[in-house]
Amino acid sequence: MKAQPITVFACLIFLLLSFSVWHIGAGAVYIAPAEIISALQSVNSEHHFIINNFRLPRLLISGLVGAALAISGLLIQGVIRNPLASPDVLGVTSGASLAVIILAVFWPHAPISYIPAAALIGGFSATALLLFLARHLLQRPAAFALVGIALAATFGAAIDYLLVVNPLEINTAMLWLTGSVWGRNWQHLPLIAPWLAVLLPIAMLLAYRLDLLALGDDTASSLGTNVKKLRLLSILVAISLASAAVSVCGSIGFVGLISPHLVRSLLGQRHLLLIPATAITGAILVISADLFARILMPPIELPAGILTAFIGAPYFIFLLCRYKNW
Amino acid sequence: MFKRLIACAFALLSFNLIAATHVHDEMGEFSIDQTPKRIIVLEFSFVDALASLGVSPVGVADDGDATRVIPAISDKIEAWTSVGSRSTPNLEIIASLKPDMIIADMERHATIYEDLKKIAPTLILKSRGESYKDNLSAVAKIGTVLDQEEKMQQLIAGHNERMDAFAKRINSDKTFLFAVSSTRGLYMHSPKAYAGGVMERLGLSSAIAEETEKAYISSTLERLVKANPDYLLVGEYGDETVVDDFKKNPLWNLISSVKNNTYVETNPKLWSLNRGMIAAEIMAKELQSIVK
Repeated sequence: MKAQPITVFACLIFLLLSFSVWHIGAGAVYIAPAEIISALQSVNSEHHFIINNFRLPRLLISGLVGAALAISGLLIQGVIRNPLASPDVLGVTSGASLAVIILAVFWPHAPISYIPAAALIGGFSATALLLFLARHLLQRPAAFALVGIALAATFGAAIDYLLVVNPLEINTAMLWLTGSVWGRNWQHLPLIAPWLAVLLPIAMLLAYRLDLLALGDDTASSLGTNVKKLRLLSILVAISLASAAVSVCGSIGFVGLISPHLVRSLLGQRHLLLIPATAITGAILVISADLFARILMPPIELPAGILTAFIGAPYFIFLLCRYKNW
Repeated sequence: MFKRLIACAFALLSFNLIAATHVHDEMGEFSIDQTPKRIIVLEFSFVDALASLGVSPVGVADDGDATRVIPAISDKIEAWTSVGSRSTPNLEIIASLKPDMIIADMERHATIYEDLKKIAPTLILKSRGESYKDNLSAVAKIGTVLDQEEKMQQLIAGHNERMDAFAKRINSDKTFLFAVSSTRGLYMHSPKAYAGGVMERLGLSSAIAEETEKAYISSTLERLVKANPDYLLVGEYGDETVVDDFKKNPLWNLISSVKNNTYVETNPKLWSLNRGMIAAEIMAKELQSIVK
């Protein structure tokens, strides 16, 4: 028995709003919910500066990054048809990280604003390399994913090498890559928002054909779907979203893996519903992770990337145990 | 007398005309209109500089642990509010303390420079990985910005005199090495690192003088044996660190300083975290007592 979609969406939106209000109010400086509205409206309010400069941009960026990673995971799981697939597995994240570290090591005086660009280029280069190496494997999703895993491992080894050889130079880059929303502000919003604005509708357009793909490659093609093209397009959308997310926040693991599973267990297999629901779930995950990253041990800030697993994993295990036949 | 009058007049004039202090920092030109009163510092070396002038910062990025500032420095200033870790200082707390100046580290805080500037004028200097000379030039800039240029120059001159005196008394032709040991590994500090720079200032030769590229060098026991310092100082972060494993290895006993019983365990907070004139003089004192 699946829940009514409307109930699921109502719950998800309620959760998203509650966490957003909590995110804005809580932190090293506490702001009561009643004051949030007045602080947003009036520039003279005591808390306006903190909300407008730190919490609001962080909230939006966390939400958008979470949504992008979650959709990316959903698409990749959909086309690879493997429940363990996620953007990290295909080497996008490690490719992006490697590019940032190369920038920091070989061009230490590069402006800070180059870091997101480097991450984006790294993510796309990794994808291009994967698509080139595995160009004959597009019809064999498992083999395709394995090439991705091997690439990710290679990038990981290169990252470790550079880290060991240059412990000091990569400091700024490292901070970027721990998957933190710390220090992000309005300037970083344009790095993620346009990607989602363009790619989310494309994903929705693909939704119906992704449903067909779930029936198997043969059924899908006999129903008139160009399976190879669909797979390529979905992977490109997924990887662009993941690269954009990594370019803003570094690698926030687990969101792309578990959000689609959580939503599938609630809504079934229809991508038209799954895509928006997964996006909201991913947003909730990263927003709550950033919230707890700030309030667990103030004034120390933890990277949100550590907490996504802490929050998501127990719920994930609970679900896996409950839905034995899935 | 005449000279002083002119200097006085000039100072007054310049104050009235420009009414702003300018220094060249790591991001370009830094200027501030009035003498800052509420200062937040995001690295320990800046605490040393402020304490030398007797100025108390309102906030310090002390990694949530005030004892990371050595007592010789913290005794000179009033209690401060922790603004979180040095790598990710808490911007909300920094803003809520309403500072009129922030001193940040180029290495760690360049990413949040724009955010910090929105809160208060931000002076960004070298701290992490700085050399002894970098530190003195940063200290001089802090003096200028606080409108205490002359006093700071006097303090630096006094520091130089005392360091010269230490150098004369220590006067050793042996080789020296300071290393930091944690559970993650042992890092030798080259002459480019602060502790190495202090040793160089005292006329001591480094056991790894050939390392001119990097400040901190990750090191195995074998590398340490090859460096073979006559005097080895190790600062341990934690009770059980890598150096304790080294000691169980027969190679350990091949190091000159172990043979001669000149291996010393010292305070890493002093030797690595709290870079500055106050710390440097205590380090010199320790070296003097070790050598004698």
